Amino acid sequence: MSIFFGPLDLAGRVPTRQQTRVAAFLMSCHGAIARQLAIVLASQMNTIWHIELNTQFYREAETVSLLLRATSWVPDPELLFLLPTWEAAWVARSPPAIADRIQGLVIDIASLAHAVHSMIRPAALLPQGVLPQDPFALALRKIEFESSRAIQAQIVFLKSTDLLPLREEVTAAVESRHGQLDKLWQEVLSGIGIDRSKST
Amino acid sequence: MTYVKHRPAERDIRKHRVLAGCLMPFLTLSSYRIRYELDGPEHGPAYVFVNGLTQYAELWGAYRNTLVAKGFRVATFDLLGQGTSDKPALFISQDDQVAALGLVIDQLGDVPVFLSGISFGGVIALRYAVVHGNRLTGLAVMSTFAELSPQLLLLGNALRVGLILGGTNYLQDLLLPMNLSDAWLGPQLENLDAIKRQGWLTNDVYALQNLMESFLDFKPLTAQLPSIKIPTMILNGEFDFLTPRTLHETLRLQIPDSALVIIPHAFHAFTLEKPALTASLLSTFAEDVLSEKWKGNRSVWIAPENAGDPLIPFPPDHDHLRAIPAAQVPR
Repeated sequence: MSIFFGPLDLAGRVPTRQQTRVAAFLMSCHGAIARQLAIVLASQMNTIWHIELNTQFYREAETVSLLLRATSWVPDPELLFLLPTWEAAWVARSPPAIADRIQGLVIDIASLAHAVHSMIRPAALLPQGVLPQDPFALALRKIEFESSRAIQAQIVFLKSTDLLPLREEVTAAVESRHGQLDKLWQEVLSGIGIDRSKST
Repeated sequence: MTYVKHRPAERDIRKHRVLAGCLMPFLTLSSYRIRYELDGPEHGPAYVFVNGLTQYAELWGAYRNTLVAKGFRVATFDLLGQGTSDKPALFISQDDQVAALGLVIDQLGDVPVFLSGISFGGVIALRYAVVHGNRLTGLAVMSTFAELSPQLLLLGNALRVGLILGGTNYLQDLLLPMNLSDAWLGPQLENLDAIKRQGWLTNDVYALQNLMESFLDFKPLTAQLPSIKIPTMILNGEFDFLTPRTLHETLRLQIPDSALVIIPHAFHAFTLEKPALTASLLSTFAEDVLSEKWKGNRSVWIAPENAGDPLIPFPPDHDHLRAIPAAQVPR
């Protein structure tokens, strides 16, 4: 097991099987966020968070579109089993500790987006010898770079004064999503010969 | 969902444990893991190092080697949000960082403990010394501060915005020329991307942002500094732009048994640039304290150019707060 993609091909490109598996996972989670944001945005736009979300909605769509084009796809039969598992994981659910179910759902949606934009660092998987102009490598760098901006919408909301009375519940909801996503991401990576767990 | 982390209010500080199948030892603070490392003789006097904002424990390697060779036990660790320690998702309080430091110090047993921290880590070390000074034998703080001057506040805000807009790479691009000298940067220019890469891999943007935002409700420590009664050495780079001399002067004036040592030609990150000199100053400080030769007296010194050479008293007729040789004015 390595901590990076590879071994690279002779031109310095990431193996197509690794590209396919990682791109499928990223499209699944970013696509889920885009769908959830579309629903949240259908409500009244009256806060800073909503304005940030409008930008983020289009960024998520861009991420999905970019991966679709930049990835060298190969058949991956395991995706037939993996994709339903991932999609089920993204379903929003109100944390039991939050009494207002609608508020809980919104907090969970923001928690998932926070986890995706903070825990998933696809560019950090690129080894030093990767072909700099490879479309897949460029796409991963772009996605990771944009994540540090996109996450600001979640930070503004989840740390807002409105939610301070629920700080413990909100923190638990976010860290729960972090833990869930971390587990899924480690499984994705170990399935393609990459080990990013802390224990190694 | 796989697990739920609990708030610090539910904290359950447990004894040190080594995770099964894991080469790194971790301490447990609430539901968070603190990665730490102990080296050197078990019963030797100990040095504990607290990282700066973007640092990780491995960067103290040169200090560990030098001090262990001199008979010290050396403890290094990653604060919450850094390196291989856990990175809380939304909030990191400085009280939690002090608690994490306390856990590391608790591992050292009944030996003299010298605590050293740089920049952000210096603040955590000061906070620990204010509350638990009786557990320490000496304190060495470097490139640090007890209050946010307007300059530092605005610089901190600008660095945070830089991080948000440009990511870790851009923060590194800002910090490297601000905190290191031309003499160090010049030969490294062709190699900077490789130097930055490990820091970029290790640091996560959201975690750095949380660490920076732990200063949003920062209260000055100045009024509490006189309670630090232990010998304290304050190290400040001659050309430190980020935390200039005036911030260290506050520490010198408020901590009774302190001495300010100015590192010639040095900037904020002199621990990276001059490890041999700095490690020598730290070991001499500890040896002087242990042999009861240390006399702080709020004195001001100039560090030598070379490791092992003696300190030079700052000329009494000049103002150590000025860059030009201005006469001392009574304050």
